[in-house]
Amino acid sequence: MSDQPYDPERAVAATPAGGTVDVSLDAAETLQQGPNGPDGPAEERERPRSLWSDAWRDLRRNPVFIVSALVIAFLVLISLWPSAIASGSPLACDLSKARQGSQAGHPFGFDGQGCDVYTRTVYGARTSVAVGVLATLGVAVLGSVLGALAGFFGGVWDAVLSRVTDVFFAIPVVLGGLVLLSVITSSTIWPVIGFIVLLGWPQIFRISRGAVITAKQNDYVQAARALGASNARLVLRHIAPNAVAPVIVVATIALGTYISLEATLSYLGVGLKPPSVSWGIDISAASPYIRNAPHALLWPSGALAVTVLAFIMLGDAVRDALDPKLR
Amino acid sequence: MLLEVRDLHVEFHTRDGVVKAVNGVSYGVEAGETLAVLGESGSGKSVTAQAVMGILDMPPGRITRGKVVFRGRDLLGLREDERRRVRGAEMAMIFQDALSSLNPVLTVGDQLGEMFTVHRGMSRRDARAKAVELMDRVRIPAAWERVRQYPHQFSGGMRQRIMIAMALALEPALIIADEPTTALDVTVQAQVMELLAELRREYRMGLVLITHDLGVVADVADRIAVMYAGRIVESAPVHDIYKAPAHPYTRGLLDSIPRLDHKGRELYAIKGLPPHLTHVPPGCAFHPRCPLARDVCRTQEPPLYEVSPTRGSACHFWTECLDG
Repeated sequence: MSDQPYDPERAVAATPAGGTVDVSLDAAETLQQGPNGPDGPAEERERPRSLWSDAWRDLRRNPVFIVSALVIAFLVLISLWPSAIASGSPLACDLSKARQGSQAGHPFGFDGQGCDVYTRTVYGARTSVAVGVLATLGVAVLGSVLGALAGFFGGVWDAVLSRVTDVFFAIPVVLGGLVLLSVITSSTIWPVIGFIVLLGWPQIFRISRGAVITAKQNDYVQAARALGASNARLVLRHIAPNAVAPVIVVATIALGTYISLEATLSYLGVGLKPPSVSWGIDISAASPYIRNAPHALLWPSGALAVTVLAFIMLGDAVRDALDPKLR
Repeated sequence: MLLEVRDLHVEFHTRDGVVKAVNGVSYGVEAGETLAVLGESGSGKSVTAQAVMGILDMPPGRITRGKVVFRGRDLLGLREDERRRVRGAEMAMIFQDALSSLNPVLTVGDQLGEMFTVHRGMSRRDARAKAVELMDRVRIPAAWERVRQYPHQFSGGMRQRIMIAMALALEPALIIADEPTTALDVTVQAQVMELLAELRREYRMGLVLITHDLGVVADVADRIAVMYAGRIVESAPVHDIYKAPAHPYTRGLLDSIPRLDHKGRELYAIKGLPPHLTHVPPGCAFHPRCPLARDVCRTQEPPLYEVSPTRGSACHFWTECLDG
């Protein structure tokens, strides 16, 4: 059982050797409890530990987590307040400066339309982060709720929902995007988010269904049922907390890939459309000039690569921290 | 009669065919009485208990026939939400492995208190106070401190006490304990059994004790029901069984207990293996392993013969068995 979120051996090993053994009414059992028992002074006993507190302790010491978290924090900050580090407007372009290189006040130079690459790269973060975060939220909510339904109730629910996911898995992402998004003219980010959610939820569905089936078989779920817990209570209180870890891990990693998917769709011209500012649009616009103005391509591409990498690294670090077997 | 199981049949539909796990089990428990259900793994004792509690996984399980009458109501005829209100409040269950029967991510106080918040609508604060009181009841030292700890911070015996406390929380009329001491050390086993027996007397509860351990049964049970291949083969007051078993299977079980006065001799074991429940032998299911088996045993299924008004045996030759 890979997701048993406790580790008794470790808990005992990590206990400070201390606490006098008090031979009281239940001598045999008290002895058996060792230093974790009720016999040590209160302040010597360690605080209650859980999967999450253990994971957090591991994460804080993991350099991969620290670096990726800093990058992501920076991205979130500039997407909330891009004007703090970029004074101009991403839409203020001057054709006379098209494809010019780095110069004072414009460190990244200008793109094919004479727009400031630095400003556009900064503002592009907002779109990417918004699409990534919102699509991941949608995918995680839809996928885990349906997955929990299928896993918990089984039978017809499971059969129908699992076949539906099979259908969605069979749709090629880029082809599906070209077909579905090309008929939509809206220039907001919502069609792209909707498309990603539509094609992304089966992945989380499978993870969540599997995790719920595993958690459902735990004796404590059966025990809670034998003591009168309702289905809703079983799922929310006993199953979900023990099944949510793999969903979080996969969703974090998927967030990075959704950002690159948005860029891919925008590059192909079916994702975001101008006047939206997006790395994908800029990469697309700059790619014809790769030989004489490579800077216009490299900066948004670099930003995209760093962002995607940061989310994937974060997901990896979280997965390692939540997996008790790696401890 | 507090609980009466009548002619219960349970099947499981699997890929290998239909597993007939329970084939016509009947037993009764009075208030304040302890019934020990004895049998090997796969004899159907736990499945019967799950059917009584209403926690059988259906599908693949299916109750094909029978009644479970509890306090005058047939539980099998109730709607699921009505049954849920019976579980925990009127009948509760204790499981074998208390570590895996407690949710690892909730403190024991939360899990104990849940009984009161869910069934009694108490505030979290009051429920917490009740949890401490219950932990005191099952003699967990320093309950007011330990109520905030997680299950893995307790020893095996203490965890089983917490399970017992949870089962007792709403003072149910019936407790089903499914091998409650199997996972524990021998010394702790005795303490937990003693606690269970004492609380049963105090609350005047009926107790169904499921076990494969004859030693555990002798001290605490009033009656014993011996199960084999999904059927009750002998049912009797505990002293009668120990004095003279009326079924060759019971005799085999008793003979395979190690005894001090048999030191140096080979320990008796019933020959053969219990039948696979997809292919229960015709006639008496025990006949391939039975020293008394004759032709009639291969063809005719023995009914539960009345040995005395309080005692029954499903053996064609129970008189022979009784005489030794």
